[in-house]
Amino acid sequence: MRIFPLVEVKPEAMKLATERRRATLVLIAPALAVLLALNLFPIVYAVYISAHYWLLARPQPPRFAGLSNYQELFFDERFRNAVLVSLKFIGLAVGFELVFGFGLAFVFNAQVRGMATLRKVTLLPSLVMPLVVGLVWFYMFNENFGIVNWIWVMLGGTRVPFLTQGTLALLSIVATDVWQWTPFVMLVFFAALQALPEYVYEAARIDGLSGSQIFFRVTLPLLRPAILIVLIIRAVDALRSLELVFMMTKGGPAGDTEVLPWYLYTTGFMSLDLGYAAAMAVLMLALVTVLSQLFVRQLESREAIL
Amino acid sequence: MSIALIRKKGLKAGLSHPASAWPTGALRYLIAASFTGFCLFPFYVIVTTALKTETAIFAWPPAWNFKPTLQTFYNALFVFGGRSAVSYLINSVIISGVSTFLAVVLGAMAAYGFARFFFAGKRHLAFWILSTRFAPPVAFIVPIYLMVQKVGLLDSHIALIIIYTAMNLSLVIWILRGFFAEIPIEIEEAALVDGYSRLQIFWRVAVPLVRPGIVSTAILSAVFSWNEFLYATVLTQSRAATLPVYLAGFSNSMGLAWGEYMAVGTIAVLPILCFTFALQKHLVRGLTFGAVK
Repeated sequence: MRIFPLVEVKPEAMKLATERRRATLVLIAPALAVLLALNLFPIVYAVYISAHYWLLARPQPPRFAGLSNYQELFFDERFRNAVLVSLKFIGLAVGFELVFGFGLAFVFNAQVRGMATLRKVTLLPSLVMPLVVGLVWFYMFNENFGIVNWIWVMLGGTRVPFLTQGTLALLSIVATDVWQWTPFVMLVFFAALQALPEYVYEAARIDGLSGSQIFFRVTLPLLRPAILIVLIIRAVDALRSLELVFMMTKGGPAGDTEVLPWYLYTTGFMSLDLGYAAAMAVLMLALVTVLSQLFVRQLESREAIL
Repeated sequence: MSIALIRKKGLKAGLSHPASAWPTGALRYLIAASFTGFCLFPFYVIVTTALKTETAIFAWPPAWNFKPTLQTFYNALFVFGGRSAVSYLINSVIISGVSTFLAVVLGAMAAYGFARFFFAGKRHLAFWILSTRFAPPVAFIVPIYLMVQKVGLLDSHIALIIIYTAMNLSLVIWILRGFFAEIPIEIEEAALVDGYSRLQIFWRVAVPLVRPGIVSTAILSAVFSWNEFLYATVLTQSRAATLPVYLAGFSNSMGLAWGEYMAVGTIAVLPILCFTFALQKHLVRGLTFGAVK
């Protein structure tokens, strides 16, 4: 705070400085304590657990295992499959969300009657409990009485087993995620478009750039930070999502929708093999840390003063 | 006048980026309206399925005209094989309410500290807190389960309350830090000259000034706590179980009790719908941690 020029007496200043230090501590310490206990400590603890044979069902104490849980992961076909399914899910879902969201942001970017209301309404999916999203799409994708099938049949198709056939099951979950998150992506791009300064466009027009030139040489480069930010946020959130799989397929058929979080969860709390689950968690945390660092970099470069 | 100032004034006068050239007129409305319809349709399905009788739920083709009944709501809340949703609803309200309160209080304090005081390592600390937002619950669930078990708090409200508080702290701190930083510093300097202590300034001067920010942050935290599934399902069984735990039980109903579960789903979604319109202004800012304003 720019306060010292106001104070001329030295002992006063000393007292203020002490008070300031104390206030900083009082303000920040509680939140910090909570985060240390429930974020930093669990990470360290997860590493510790992952170095043990730690079976929840057994009465014997956990036994030190060194790196053997990780070694086992390396040769685990199911783990490899889970990583692959997760990558497919993230790639497809986030890919569609970004493409649709980007296009729709331009559609909604206009000061015409009613557009603001429509934009507000599109926000609803991103706030709905993911389990309810899973429940309702599970119902709609049903082979025997689901609305999606009914529409498909109306269009001249035959009934489709959306959730019980491998590739289709994954695509159905992707579609559900796209329904929930495209509006959010759209709103981020919309806000970014709104923040673009008009004078840049005036300059571009004065320089005689055509419409498509303006898009590729002005708009797109200026939107790059927003694209990166939304890409990272969505990728991390898609990586950890397991509600849709829980509700709609339980990882089936035959592991075709067994995403990494689902495999981790079942290993830990159905097979009760906590050591092995913790090893997966540590690898996942490493990946998330890389992604979150990318995000932090993006943000840091935009924060002039902190 | 500096360019920044002109920009600021221009933005205030509504002279921001002009409307996109594409698409135009009717096509724009057509796309926007059908997308909105697509966003809303599943809500229609949730509510109508909850209001249908069992025959109508399993009808092919889907029953568009049906006689609505509230039987499913009654079943889900009061009968339903001794598994009433009422206690789950109460737990959800208590846990998301208390955890939101704690997250906002602790978060606002820290946010003010970050916005107004300088100390060594502040930048790193702030960005570390930001990075906790990315913590995937599924990667934390194993150590957290063992920690909660060791302190004997399995199936207790307090465990979920503390975990959700931690989960929402980064969000609260980062949004409110921006709000506090926007307060003109002269106001607080004047209070300091009037003899307020730093903490009094925080509580009596700064907090009232950022009330709109606090309200939207609180709503957002409440939504996240309300919706959280993984911690709830692993750490609670009955006494402290929340609505998502109830909904997770659908798979045990052999896919028959659609109506009852959609009724609980309606109850789980309704409060969110009510808040959303109030929230819209700050939501994108909140969900992207102020990266996009």
